[in-house]
Amino acid sequence: MRTFQLGIRNLRRNARRSLTTLLSIAFGFAAVALFSGYTKEVYQGLTQQAVHGELIGHLTVAKRGMKLEGHLHPERYLLGPEEIRRIEGIVYQQYPQARIAPRLDLAGLASNGHVSTIFLADGVAPEDMKALRGPRQATGALSEGAPQGIAMARGLAALLGLKDGDDASVLVSTLHGQANAADATVINTYGTGNAGLEDKAVFMPLAMAQSLYDAPDRADRLTILLPDIALTEGARARLAPAFAAAGLDVEISTWQELSVFYRQVKGMFDMIFSFILAIVLTIVVMSVTNAMGMSVVERTREIGTLRAIGLRRSGVVRLFVTEALLLVGLGCAAGLALTLLARAGVNAAGLSYTPPNSTSRVLLLVGLDGGKLIFTAAVLGLLGLAAAIFPARRAARQPVTESLAHV
Amino acid sequence: MTTALFKLSNIHRHFPLGETTVQALRGVDLTVAKGESLAIWGPSGSGKSTLLNLLGLIDKPDEGTLHFDGEDVHSHSDDALTDCRNRKIGFVFQNFNLVPVLTALENVMLPLQIQGLKADAARQRAEGWLARVGLARFARQRPDKLSGGQRQRVAIARALVTRPELVLADEPTANLDSENSRDLIELLQKLNAETGVTCVFSTHDPRLLEHVPRHVQLVDGRILEEKS
Repeated sequence: MRTFQLGIRNLRRNARRSLTTLLSIAFGFAAVALFSGYTKEVYQGLTQQAVHGELIGHLTVAKRGMKLEGHLHPERYLLGPEEIRRIEGIVYQQYPQARIAPRLDLAGLASNGHVSTIFLADGVAPEDMKALRGPRQATGALSEGAPQGIAMARGLAALLGLKDGDDASVLVSTLHGQANAADATVINTYGTGNAGLEDKAVFMPLAMAQSLYDAPDRADRLTILLPDIALTEGARARLAPAFAAAGLDVEISTWQELSVFYRQVKGMFDMIFSFILAIVLTIVVMSVTNAMGMSVVERTREIGTLRAIGLRRSGVVRLFVTEALLLVGLGCAAGLALTLLARAGVNAAGLSYTPPNSTSRVLLLVGLDGGKLIFTAAVLGLLGLAAAIFPARRAARQPVTESLAHV
Repeated sequence: MTTALFKLSNIHRHFPLGETTVQALRGVDLTVAKGESLAIWGPSGSGKSTLLNLLGLIDKPDEGTLHFDGEDVHSHSDDALTDCRNRKIGFVFQNFNLVPVLTALENVMLPLQIQGLKADAARQRAEGWLARVGLARFARQRPDKLSGGQRQRVAIARALVTRPELVLADEPTANLDSENSRDLIELLQKLNAETGVTCVFSTHDPRLLEHVPRHVQLVDGRILEEKS
């Protein structure tokens, strides 16, 4: 009789208690698995939104200090054409498949001829915009055939009473602090998905932004889209020394660093996940401890018999640890089955909701986070082990005569 | 000349009971030869079970020396004593103490598997012993499907399956009716004669005493009388 088989039979000996414990593990595991699957989908959505929706790309290269002092001393922190060329050369040498997009942000007033309101413009070349959007080709695209054509957030367009094809004018301060205005045509309106930007955001062609800002061929940053998002950290690690060696005083930011919303949401969900995991682990530990503790007490005389006929203390501990691990293993397997069922149901139901700070509804989707499932099962296994080992050690160390006399 | 399997010299064993101490054994001297069959008898509380526990190496004396198979076992580690029990001692308990989730056959295989014997070899030997105690056709039954007498036979097969030097039976007939008691006694005597294993019983049962050649009477933790 192998310890494993003996463990199975002992679990079946008190089937109701084993089932209760197993279900507590299964539901706990399923709760963690479903939540981690949901957050995985959310993170994927946020990643897509940041990289392709907000056009952050994977890496952003700007002059060192641009983020802090770029608005105070724009002349000092704008990248010139020669610097842009050298940066592009280094990036393409390492990543020939990469896409590099010079960008220039502007702020000013947009007007319909009667009223004006503030806008925040992102200057980007139409072909670069298309590449940065990647598979997520949303509304709000610029057109190479419309050098003065701008894409305007729906909220801003509504404030100004503008629609596709209407004319507008934009007024900004140039690099040297002088006012500069240009006529524009609204070629597109789009939803930003971000309530804070919905009444301000504008995309305009890079050349138009450079002209308005009186900074021809210059950019405040370069956005790099790598062939694969997984290359992000490695690319930064490779490019930073290459830029430094070329005498370029620039800094590289990843998309996670630049997407404040992504970091905030991920931080919040990670905290909630830890909280749920802690609750689940507490319930499971108490459940397994109770089951194993009762089992050890009920089987005290049996333990005495096994010790008398030659089972070492370690053998007794191994027996109960095997039972606990079986309980946890079966509980996790049942939890996985529950997860798959619930996941299929939720995903098929087509439920949707409006996330915080968003203007549109998104589908409630639940994925599978393999890493977190393995982590959860491993932690449950370790805790189940700990929950079994203490009562089992106590029972194994009890004098055989006392165990045999147990009533 | 017969070799001593056990030699107990001036054995004392006491247990705390509340604020007092119970003197279970008070200077017991006893030698048991290999192959011998011996009954320890006396009233309740006379120290029979305590003495059997010491002989079974599941307890240690507070004073005195205990030699088993020529070795002073006092300094042996728990693992060494456990291994020694597994190889050299078989136990038959008053309440049978079979593992309820195992079949009769698996219960008999258990000491062999603890030794590390492969399942096939253990099964073969266990089947042989179940046949010797007349339970071959009950091999697949769990203990709760067996009568008291059958369970005790399974326990005897489990005790003997490792070919031990010694079988200890603590009140083996206490939970059996007259017919089963008689059958069990005959079986034990037969196995003692066939295998040469040393058998030590504790009992109040006069029927058992009639079949055992040597009697040791314990009263208040002392050997009052020995008869051979």
